[in-house]
Amino acid sequence: MITPAVIGLLVFFVYPLLASLWYSFTSYNLMSPPQWIGLRNYTYLFTQDPKVGKAALNTLWFVVFMVPIRIVSALAVAGLLVRVRRARGSWRSVFYLPALVPPVASVVAFVFLFNPGTGPVNRVLHLFGVDGPLWFNDPALAKPSLVLLSVWVMGDIMIIFLASLLDVPRELYEASSLDGANGAQQVVHVTLPHLVPVLLFAGVTGVIAALQYFTEAAVASGVASGKATIGAGASAAIGYPDDSLLTYAQWIYVRGFGNFQFGYASALAMVLFVVASVLVVFMMRRVGAYTPSEAS
Amino acid sequence: MTATVIEATAQPSPLRPEARAPRRTRSLGVWVAEHVALVTLAVLFVAPVVFVVLTSLMPAEQTLTATIWPTSWQWSNYLEVFRTVPLARWFGNSALYAFGATACMLVSSVPAAYVLAKIRFRGASLLFGAIVVAMLLPPQVTVIPVYVLWSKVHLTGSLLPLILPNLFGDAFSIFLLRQFFLTIPREYTDAARVDGCGEWRTLLRIVVPMARPGIAAAALFSFFRAWNDYFGPLLYTSENQAAWPVSYGLATFRGVHGTDWSITMAMTVLVTVPVILLFLFAQRVFVEGITLTGVKG
Amino acid sequence: MNFRRVRSSLLLTVSAGAALALAGCSTGSADSAPVASAAPTDLSGTVSLWHFFSDREAGVIQTAVDEFEKANPDVTVDIHSGQDDAKLQQVISSGGDVDVAVSFSSDIVGNFCSTGAFVDLEPYITRDKVDLEQFPEVVRTYTEYDGTRCTLPLLADVPALYMNSAALAAAGITAPPTTLDQLEADALKMTEYNPDGSIKTLGFNPLMGFYENTPMNFGPTVEAQWLDADGQAAVADSTWPEVMKWQKAFVDTIGYDKLQTFTAGLGQEFSDSNAFQTGQVAMQIDGEWRTAFLADQAPDLQYTTAAFPVGMGHDDLYGSGTISGNVVGIGKGSKNPELAWALMKYLTTDTDSVVGLANGLKNVPTTLPALTSPDLVVSPQFQTFIDIAKDPKTTTRPSSPLGSGYGQPLTDFWTKWQGTDGSGLQDGLDAAAQQMNDSLALVAAP
Repeated sequence: MITPAVIGLLVFFVYPLLASLWYSFTSYNLMSPPQWIGLRNYTYLFTQDPKVGKAALNTLWFVVFMVPIRIVSALAVAGLLVRVRRARGSWRSVFYLPALVPPVASVVAFVFLFNPGTGPVNRVLHLFGVDGPLWFNDPALAKPSLVLLSVWVMGDIMIIFLASLLDVPRELYEASSLDGANGAQQVVHVTLPHLVPVLLFAGVTGVIAALQYFTEAAVASGVASGKATIGAGASAAIGYPDDSLLTYAQWIYVRGFGNFQFGYASALAMVLFVVASVLVVFMMRRVGAYTPSEAS
Repeated sequence: MTATVIEATAQPSPLRPEARAPRRTRSLGVWVAEHVALVTLAVLFVAPVVFVVLTSLMPAEQTLTATIWPTSWQWSNYLEVFRTVPLARWFGNSALYAFGATACMLVSSVPAAYVLAKIRFRGASLLFGAIVVAMLLPPQVTVIPVYVLWSKVHLTGSLLPLILPNLFGDAFSIFLLRQFFLTIPREYTDAARVDGCGEWRTLLRIVVPMARPGIAAAALFSFFRAWNDYFGPLLYTSENQAAWPVSYGLATFRGVHGTDWSITMAMTVLVTVPVILLFLFAQRVFVEGITLTGVKG
Repeated sequence: MNFRRVRSSLLLTVSAGAALALAGCSTGSADSAPVASAAPTDLSGTVSLWHFFSDREAGVIQTAVDEFEKANPDVTVDIHSGQDDAKLQQVISSGGDVDVAVSFSSDIVGNFCSTGAFVDLEPYITRDKVDLEQFPEVVRTYTEYDGTRCTLPLLADVPALYMNSAALAAAGITAPPTTLDQLEADALKMTEYNPDGSIKTLGFNPLMGFYENTPMNFGPTVEAQWLDADGQAAVADSTWPEVMKWQKAFVDTIGYDKLQTFTAGLGQEFSDSNAFQTGQVAMQIDGEWRTAFLADQAPDLQYTTAAFPVGMGHDDLYGSGTISGNVVGIGKGSKNPELAWALMKYLTTDTDSVVGLANGLKNVPTTLPALTSPDLVVSPQFQTFIDIAKDPKTTTRPSSPLGSGYGQPLTDFWTKWQGTDGSGLQDGLDAAAQQMNDSLALVAAP
């Protein structure tokens, strides 16, 4: 019964890992067989590649800023919703529905909304006498613009937080009230401890998503640059503006499928593998310490 | 535990009234503040949708002007999308990908999850560990050799490299389903075995009916992942327009066809609508599913 | 659960995977198939044609293909439009069914010739006695790499300056600018601002990265070099700073942020809201194809064209420019190379076909008979491009095994540098040259 899954794991996971390792020591363009070049790919990666550092830092930026900002805003909305008494279902839908919009559609929409010259956002800002910034066309603001997008689509973790908040046993509040705790103390001593598992879950999944951040950044660059994707190739606009949206995952794609340097792209992939493994193991340890072990 | 979560979510029951009752005067101020915050936030969350829909109905020239309300309602923009690109075909491809991947996933992952949840065997924890790692690692780590494999069997240029692997289990779905199956008390499966049921019968007669909400949730997740996928179609179908799903078609739409914002927004709306409809149709399963992943994952 | 079954299936998959990997499974059949001693007299079968055109332009290709099919009734051409180079490479290297491929740029020649993605055409050319002299010399240069001819030219692209007649008249400008400084002065005269200080219409958009503003198009104004004779990057020791400093000062005169805001609000280059077509930009550097878009999408717009201005002290260069073009090759995995060759020969050397394509796409023809053909429709605006293409000082960007990728560091640096305070130019160029050499070395390894 489990044989297909085992085959799947071997063909689509174990074998590719080993093959990636082998390719990473070769020069390989898919046209002719891989040729062994030793550590050449790795020396280029660590000492010469002009963009790998930038790509890694951008990915780190998303891990450090996007993940917590998303969690905090989802928590804030969930905290408000939990106190609403009437029509909670409708309120919940308002904040949840954006999460359903397909990522490509939401990015295309946001690049349009935040278009510096003609987008509604800057038009509205203009009404208030504010000169709107360049948003997706400004290297300094492109990443924050994507964070705004990620907040707009935070509905899925918001729902989880909301469920967890509603799940806090009422007796705990009663008991702490009797002990004389005020609202703020209740939040710190009752609500937050109860939320720890879901917060960790959101953190872990958020970090994992940030490590492979690709679609939103790639589509935003493509649409905002105004470059025709035709002709110049799918990788032409990647990173626009000024490589500020170039993530590590995209760099693997560009070197692999834009330049057809499969050997070098595999070396990049192996480095990602090591970093991601370390992070995942570290986080699993942490999570393991908090989650009560499940039976069976 | 799962049941109580759903109940609590679904019920708009007043919360902790006893904590508030003694301080009614202050709560009015708090109530107002909370609702002002909520309404403001709600406006901010709804505004993008309003702007997008309004723009999708504008004449093309108007998108470059400051007027936000359409000067005339161009419903034909939506037809224009179908004239510019083979949108019906792309929707068909998206449906093929999403339904195909989900069906394949169910066939392979439900039994695998059952084995991992309910049967003890040597290497079980190793296997489960491998599935967790496969689920957590970025797909870009393994993408190159997998692409090479598919290119050797000449299946690139189609959606098959994205659908077929689901026949061999999907790590995330297996993980999710296993968590659901674990909540089914062992007595049920043991009783079935005592009655002489084989593993398949036990799975189909006892476990699947009991875990129906969980399976529905896993299926929905799989469906949405396929429908929303951009990276996979970019890799495997970019050279064959006839195989594009809508999400990929939308991403290239403005670049390739140099289309105006109004038409682009019309297509954006068109790509989003089916997902929203599906949500309204299966809202309960959805919210339960998300909640369960969060609380149990 | 049967654990032994798991183990055996495990072994099976591992060995299957390994076998696949080791065998390196053949990806093409026609790799080294010998070329027949005589061209086949009867052509039949299906041949696939991959090209990058879309929409209106794809229709022009279709027309040419229809003619080929009419002349060869037993041949069916299977067209795949909208294919960029990365996709071509992806399909060819996966052993996909690519018989004839049209790339939009000669940049790929170095890459595709050296990896063998396009087959060597020499045997066919010799056998069918195709006269290569019918292609202008610079065109011959960019269609071969390192002695390997794996492509033939299919029309060429040349950039020049487009000028909106009404805007010129309003600003009292009677002659086209011939130097970069004149271009800037004229452009500033034509630029209009809104009451709030933002740009209303722009004389010339100097931002690097806007539409056709590329190092490749700006470099020839000062005779800037890409590679030296040894194939090493020359960007740090060439005349690039002359044109870069001019461009940067121009940007600063108007204001980088203002330009960015204005540019982000402009329509897409290949849409009918192209800024020149809407009148938002009065002058721009663009390829000859724009004349066709203008005729199609903005027939009422009055405009003239002229050679792009040149840098200070480079007056002798005026009238020349950079040339590149579409190239056609036969994919490595072609199942029917004879048919592919026949189609390719027809598209690239048949005078009627070349003239028809040139008239439809408004690209510069690449054979001498087509250039002088009475059937070639030449408007005064289009004549500019033919003159540039014929100019002996017109150059092309050298190719490399990395294709066009090697030039990227310069584009990246320039795009970034234009938004800074302008210091660190030489350091940036040195770094760009180093990066170009590093990436060329990696491709050359082992």
